[in-house]
Amino acid sequence: MAQVQPAQDRCPDCRAVLPPAARYCPSCGVPVRPGTPVRRRQGEPSAWVQFLDAAWDFFASTKVATVLIILIALAAIGGSLVEQEGLYQDWRPPELYYPERYGATLGRLLMATGLTHAYTSWWFLTLIYLLVISLIVCSLQRLIPLHRALQKPTVEKHEGFLRRQPVQGEIPAVEGDPLAPLEAALKHRGFRTWRQGRGLHADRGRLGRYGPYVIHIGLIIAAFAATAKVLPGWDITEDLWVADGQTVTIPGTHLAIRNNRFVLETYPNGMPRLFQTQATLIDSGQEVLHHNIEVNQPLRYGPWWGPWEIYQASFREEPGAAQMELVWDGRVLGELELDLKSPQPEYSVNSDVTVVVERYFHDFGLDPETGDPVNKSREIANPVFLLRFVDNEGKELGRQALNVSLHEDVAPGSVVEGEIALRQTGITSRWYTGLRIHKDLTVPYMYAGLAVVMLGMYITFFVFHRQIWALALGDRVLVGGRTNKNRWGLQQELRPVIRQLGGFLTAGFGLGSGAGAPGLSQQPRSPQGRD
Amino acid sequence: MIIQETLLSVSFWSLGVAFFSYVAASIFYVAGIIGLRRAAATAAPAAATAAAGGAAPLEAVAAEEGAEGASRPFYRQAPDWAFALITLGTAAHAVGILTRWQGGGHWPTANMYEFIGFMAFTSMLAFQVIYRMYRFPVLGALAAPVAVIILAYSYVFPREVQPLIPALQSYWLYLHVSTAALGEGFFAVAFAGALLYLLRTRDPERESRLAGLALESVFWFASMLLAYTALAYLLRYVLNQEWIFVLDGGVARYHMPPLIGPQGSTPGMSGSLLGLPLPVAAAPAWLAGKNANTFVFAILMGTPVYYFLRALLFRGRSFREGLGNLARNLDADLLDEISYRGVAIGYPIFTLGGLVFAMFWAKEAWGRYWFWDPKETWAFIAWMVYSAYLHLRLNRGWEGRPSAWTAVVGFGVILFTLVGVNLLIVGLHSYAGGDL
Repeated sequence: MAQVQPAQDRCPDCRAVLPPAARYCPSCGVPVRPGTPVRRRQGEPSAWVQFLDAAWDFFASTKVATVLIILIALAAIGGSLVEQEGLYQDWRPPELYYPERYGATLGRLLMATGLTHAYTSWWFLTLIYLLVISLIVCSLQRLIPLHRALQKPTVEKHEGFLRRQPVQGEIPAVEGDPLAPLEAALKHRGFRTWRQGRGLHADRGRLGRYGPYVIHIGLIIAAFAATAKVLPGWDITEDLWVADGQTVTIPGTHLAIRNNRFVLETYPNGMPRLFQTQATLIDSGQEVLHHNIEVNQPLRYGPWWGPWEIYQASFREEPGAAQMELVWDGRVLGELELDLKSPQPEYSVNSDVTVVVERYFHDFGLDPETGDPVNKSREIANPVFLLRFVDNEGKELGRQALNVSLHEDVAPGSVVEGEIALRQTGITSRWYTGLRIHKDLTVPYMYAGLAVVMLGMYITFFVFHRQIWALALGDRVLVGGRTNKNRWGLQQELRPVIRQLGGFLTAGFGLGSGAGAPGLSQQPRSPQGRD
Repeated sequence: MIIQETLLSVSFWSLGVAFFSYVAASIFYVAGIIGLRRAAATAAPAAATAAAGGAAPLEAVAAEEGAEGASRPFYRQAPDWAFALITLGTAAHAVGILTRWQGGGHWPTANMYEFIGFMAFTSMLAFQVIYRMYRFPVLGALAAPVAVIILAYSYVFPREVQPLIPALQSYWLYLHVSTAALGEGFFAVAFAGALLYLLRTRDPERESRLAGLALESVFWFASMLLAYTALAYLLRYVLNQEWIFVLDGGVARYHMPPLIGPQGSTPGMSGSLLGLPLPVAAAPAWLAGKNANTFVFAILMGTPVYYFLRALLFRGRSFREGLGNLARNLDADLLDEISYRGVAIGYPIFTLGGLVFAMFWAKEAWGRYWFWDPKETWAFIAWMVYSAYLHLRLNRGWEGRPSAWTAVVGFGVILFTLVGVNLLIVGLHSYAGGDL
């Protein structure tokens, strides 16, 4: 038998120990002998085919995959150090915000490089999809050869191969069939066994070898699920502000949501305890669902694979209505409530007097250039009514400019022409609940991908593939074992088997290794470690 | 109410028992190793004369012991004592967590004090699992101090039980945080194993200056954390020191002397310390003054502590040299396997708790399973670093030290994810923050 050089014993790509004269690595499937054809073809390949070959080989390399993983981690770090668009706490658009936040030069540089939206930037997405390609190519390249190698193992190995295994032992040969006791013991422990000539091969847990590919398939599913968000209608988000008692239609749908009441509760120390919207969902005019929407309890409506979901996202309190009484010559004629958001054009107090709202400013101010009254912002901050009082015949009784007081300790301002005027008696708040509406059809696919990933992780990390070879050599049986994971566990398993058959371990942790590595002088402290 | 307060104080004292058990276990582990080394050193000449160029020194020690009789010397017993102490500490820690759960009314992983303590607990739990597999006491000499430093650091944060804000009121608080922390505990053990591997396989002759400094900086960083913790605890809870700045931008509360004041403060406005005006300077706009101040103190205090520890433990030699000597006889392959095993168990658990459960909870609470919120991003980064670790091992030339470095860096990323992100980067998880 040809002498195998140590340099050729391990796969250049994955470092798995190679069987003698192997052309493909049994672990990862890459060709290990120069000149081994990867794909059969006739004649000189075209430039295009050569390019595809080169690309395939590039993406099939674990080194490339590892470098991509590291680059993605670095890119993600870069993005995390810069406040991302859509996540910063400021109302300004990015063009204004970033130069202010990071200085003019750096701010513009960050925006130009895409670091302000790192996770949707072309370089980040390029890296992610390169890794996805690498995942697919690596898996295809290795899965089928691995499957073949696991189904048809070489049973009778050369003695040199056994002497290179990380765990080795020797058993005195018995009369008759020297391999039979070992085969029986291994079978008893759930190993699958093969016999050929002087050789015995046994393995258990080969499922574990498929685990990484299961993880990769799960990740590919997850990547496709995340990508599917770009499909029209697959990922819808709407933010709605709904006042107490108000009904708002969800844009583009036949659904509407009514906020019956928003509830805010706090703990004695002032920390929030509960944000709750007592909501009613209306589908095509029919009330279909009542639900108390809370932070961890969204409302769901529709099929399980793509429901409409309504989340408690925010809340807002703003001045709602000012309570007024109409006073004429010291007598109270009646009461009314002026809505501060959108007041009615006129309010009839009784059959005699009507209050006409001529103009309303929710945040009164004067334009510095023209001197005209204007609204300074979109908030209800400084409400001013210009009112006219008329009787039932249309005759003007008086006029009033009324500055509504939003706080109890600030007196309302008022300029009156005539005997009649409104007097503020109170103010009420209006609560808005901030609801976020989602419909994301990618969720079931993403969760399916994650489930496959977790299944693959379990298989990869908790199912150990243990392979044992034995060779009958006259008066003794040589045993060599290896595993893809948990070498110590293999040693712990093999030790009692071999001792029971009257043998002993010759290589392993604490015993020196079979490849002639220097022995260690401090053994792991275990009962077995002292034998 | 009285029952609750009693439970909370039981929790406090149980954590104290756990803390001192871990400290004692660390000392026992280190003492055991040093004893073993000393014995080997004295036995070595005898062994050299007895067996020409062959027998390992420790076998000579064992032979010597055999001659002495059944009584094992202290350094032989120390690892068993240490492991018993760790078991005691973990049990007390579990009692502390359960009583705080009952006393506080919610699962105690809701603020920094609770979470960081929990992480110390899971790292000792993970150590127990790995130790029962490999019975490798030297690992404890690094893993136990890691737990000590982490648990000590938790005492820097306010201990009051805070009621849960609406976003945290979910059973995912139990599942997501505990599972992620368990995975991180295994990463802590993998870190200890990888660090030992780096110390063991270090070649002083061929080590580059940068590589040496990098290895040394791990210990320097640990000294910094330790020194900062001790100083912060002393000033804040023992001496009740506080420096308050009332400025236009708001109120800043410092628990350490403000060498670097918040933005807008003027030098000397907080009095002086040993003739030095406080603050010495105000922080620029892009830097949070309080964090910068903390960092300055960590360096100022950490560096002398580092040199003190090195003088105390290794007669002034560097940590990598001193610990490298102690690790000289260890089986590098076994260290590699232990470290790998820590990752191999921690990685799936962390994936489940830190990413999958996190996505489920994010979907439930915020409506999307992924936001690229800084905490999520850093969990993703940590996951990628450990993914890189698992793939590096498959490549010829990248297994061994490059992989081990990845496991060390990975734990650094984990710590930054847990602590740094909350304190330095604002995001959706910022409610879990405390202050430095």
